[in-house]
Amino acid sequence: MSGGSPGSHTPGGRTLAGLTLRLLGLGLTACVIVGPLLSLCVWSLAERWTYPAAWPQRLGFRYWSRMLTADFLDPLKTGLGIAVLVTALALLCAVPLGYALARLTFPGRTLVLLAFLLPQAFPQLPVFAAATREFYRWGLAGTVAGVVLVHLVGGLVFAVWTMTAVFRAIDPALDEAAHNLGASATRAFLTVSLPLAVPGIVASALLVFLYSLDEFTGTLLVGAPFVTTLPVYMYTASQGYELQIASVTALVLMVPGAVLLLLLERVLRAEYLTFFGQL
Amino acid sequence: MFVWPVGVSLLASFSRDGGWTLANYGAVWRLYSGDVLYTVGVAAAGSLLTFAAAIPLCGWLRARAFGPVEFLLKVPLFVPFVVVGHALRVVWSPYLPGFAPSWPGIAVALAWKHLGLAALLMLGAFRGVDESFLEAARQLGSGTVRVTRDILVPMAAPALAVSAVLIFSSMLASFSIPLMLGRGSGGQMLMIDVYYRFGQHGDFETASALGVVSYLLAMGAALVYVRRLTR
Repeated sequence: MSGGSPGSHTPGGRTLAGLTLRLLGLGLTACVIVGPLLSLCVWSLAERWTYPAAWPQRLGFRYWSRMLTADFLDPLKTGLGIAVLVTALALLCAVPLGYALARLTFPGRTLVLLAFLLPQAFPQLPVFAAATREFYRWGLAGTVAGVVLVHLVGGLVFAVWTMTAVFRAIDPALDEAAHNLGASATRAFLTVSLPLAVPGIVASALLVFLYSLDEFTGTLLVGAPFVTTLPVYMYTASQGYELQIASVTALVLMVPGAVLLLLLERVLRAEYLTFFGQL
Repeated sequence: MFVWPVGVSLLASFSRDGGWTLANYGAVWRLYSGDVLYTVGVAAAGSLLTFAAAIPLCGWLRARAFGPVEFLLKVPLFVPFVVVGHALRVVWSPYLPGFAPSWPGIAVALAWKHLGLAALLMLGAFRGVDESFLEAARQLGSGTVRVTRDILVPMAAPALAVSAVLIFSSMLASFSIPLMLGRGSGGQMLMIDVYYRFGQHGDFETASALGVVSYLLAMGAALVYVRRLTR
């Protein structure tokens, strides 16, 4: 490399100045990103921490042991049950719909795609409030079915967009080949496209599952007061100034996201991440 | 499924006690015009903060890819909103009590959550800029800072504008993060107002009118962007 100050454009950053800069950048990013999350860990262990003290006066696992009580386990089970149901229902709709959106041209195709964009672009809370109001009339407010319906709205957005991207990545020529060999459209879909889409379907399922597990706003409005999932439980705890309980719950809530992040990083293609950017 | 509740809130915002009226918007104007401005201000501050952090970082990463930092930047994407709100409440509480629910506190928390998305989009846009431009600038003696400022940002401007609009509207509509940060003195975020109006006062009509205002703000942000593009 030529010109400029030493180290500033060495691709590998092999000079001392470059190395220092990289470490500095890493340290700074780590502080900003990891700092608040680390603070959650400290808080979850703080049995006593009152204001001017810079560090908890007493550390221990008392609040972690509360995880084993029904207070914590019931919302966990409810949330997992809802997430499984939402994932199954969303994929049942999204796999054929994504295939249709990726392969077929039909009138209103763009409109359907746009309709699935809308929930991302719009403020969600007033919409959920209106949904809650309607659900009251049908007796769905405060029920698991109501919460599942609300999660499906958001879950379908994720599922349809990922499935469309997945089916777009599969060469249509493969389907045509099956077709030429005498397979019907359904059979071509079931025996050619569908098996090829399995990794994408798994990724999509994970995203929907995670979305449902973490969903807070809709659950708070529609589920109240009978359906409590972990995010709602965490909110209630933090409102009662039980910051430790809320911190323990927060850490547990981060586990599925962390697993997904590592999975996406290692196993799945980056393309599935880019759909965040398409929205 | 989604359009229908939007319609319900639109209709409700113009009705009260069975009749059609604009009274709900009057109430919004009287009670919440300050909060509308506050929300726009916080969202603007949050977006500025996000970009102020993301631009130098991504410019630097464009010059030299560095895996660990890129991985760290993806982390906020996978942390749920409620957890972000809580984490950025407790991180300040032992040292700066009262900072979390203040407007800078909310802006910082929102910026933290959106940094992941901003960096992902920006890095993609920066990597889309042809290497030959950067090489030419480097030959002429520009460092990373100048390359970022004079080449990467202007060339990626359309993509950056899209992500800015996306992030700004998302911050306008943020609910869980300000809710978890707690109630501060001074202004309130718009979505918190909607929630209390609906949940505690049971006043669905005024809450809907506030909601419609938030829809308009979100669409306004998108419109500004479209006009910028067509100009």
